[in-house]
Amino acid sequence: MIRAAGLGVDADGVGILDDVTIELPQRTIAVIGANGSGKSTFARTLNGLVRPTRGSVEVAGIDVGSDPRSARDAVGFLFSQPDAQILMPTPGEDIGLSLRAAGVARRDLPERAREELAAFGLGDRADQPAYSLSGGQKQLLALAGVLVRRPRVVVADEPTTLLDLGNARRIADLLLTGTGAEQVVIVTHDLELAARCDVAIRFDDGRLVDEGDPRDVVASYRTEFA
Amino acid sequence: MIALYRPGRSLLHRLPAGVKLAGLAVLAVVTTLVARTPLSAAIALLATVALFALGGSGPVTWARQAWQLRWIILVLGASQWIFLGGAAAWTNTARVVAVVLLASIVTLTTRMGDMIDALVAALAPLRRVGVDPSRVAFTLSLAISAVPVIADLAQRIRDAQRARGVRLGVRSVVTLLVLSLRHADDMADALTARGLA
Repeated sequence: MIRAAGLGVDADGVGILDDVTIELPQRTIAVIGANGSGKSTFARTLNGLVRPTRGSVEVAGIDVGSDPRSARDAVGFLFSQPDAQILMPTPGEDIGLSLRAAGVARRDLPERAREELAAFGLGDRADQPAYSLSGGQKQLLALAGVLVRRPRVVVADEPTTLLDLGNARRIADLLLTGTGAEQVVIVTHDLELAARCDVAIRFDDGRLVDEGDPRDVVASYRTEFA
Repeated sequence: MIALYRPGRSLLHRLPAGVKLAGLAVLAVVTTLVARTPLSAAIALLATVALFALGGSGPVTWARQAWQLRWIILVLGASQWIFLGGAAAWTNTARVVAVVLLASIVTLTTRMGDMIDALVAALAPLRRVGVDPSRVAFTLSLAISAVPVIADLAQRIRDAQRARGVRLGVRSVVTLLVLSLRHADDMADALTARGLA
């Protein structure tokens, strides 16, 4: 369950998000809206990357504002730019980093990392330089790094923006059905992906302006540009 | 400048990273101290080339490595030639090239992770004075993985200049710095998001 009450975020005195109050019990949640509408900021409050200036936000029973550490353990976050998310020189080491944070013993790391990578079709890439991966493989690796920690909630900020159709579909399918998480929040400009979620919410100018059945929310968003 | 790891099963690949790093240190010192005549410098250089074969790399690989050193060779060789004469220029340049090639043999045959593990082991005694070896290793890994990203940013800036038909010259360093700092911010976010910070 995701709950926001009177949630507001200011940055350098400018309001980015204002008075967001919502309850989201659904499993897959699409967040849509224009660039700069506050949707990414909303997503970032969900795991404590951005602290609320006003109000509160609760994810998986954790009050993120007062306990960001637990929130980060429970909430995995996927960025749109995988280069920023891949921290180690090789995929094996990068997954190993997440596994170590999850408490896996050092000597089991290479084997476990290989298994996890294999599940994402990257089994033979463990020892190659991460920068030599294609964009789609990088995003798969970034997602693998998030999912190996078995987060209760996954938040993805425009996860398919930089990908071609095939890779975008693959990442979307994984997010919608393959995460094992209780809830998945996807910030996206891909309205087809949004329509596949259980619920959609739309931000405009820092405010929550619409929520409900994704097809309705997407349809009303489209009419604004008709 | 230095090549990255190439997977393989050669003798040098199978040697532990610590042994290779220690060997590199010893050979670098020996080369510097012993190879003081044109002939011994030539021998040092030839011996290094022979070591490439032990690492399973043919002449193409070492020629490529040497080619990457062309500017060092040119600047070092030319300046020494002018000030010290041909023999000294050859001896000194050959020695430097031999040592750099030795180092590249280690990077070609050693996985970065193994190298860092060896470093952590070597740093273990410093734990007593408050140095955390795993922290040092992690910082190094972060820096290593940031290298291709920064190189990519530099390439993007060059491409942007070309696409717009402008030349920033030295000022492009400022752009690179700004982009690099932004990448650092993103990495910090990623560390936080992945529960590591």
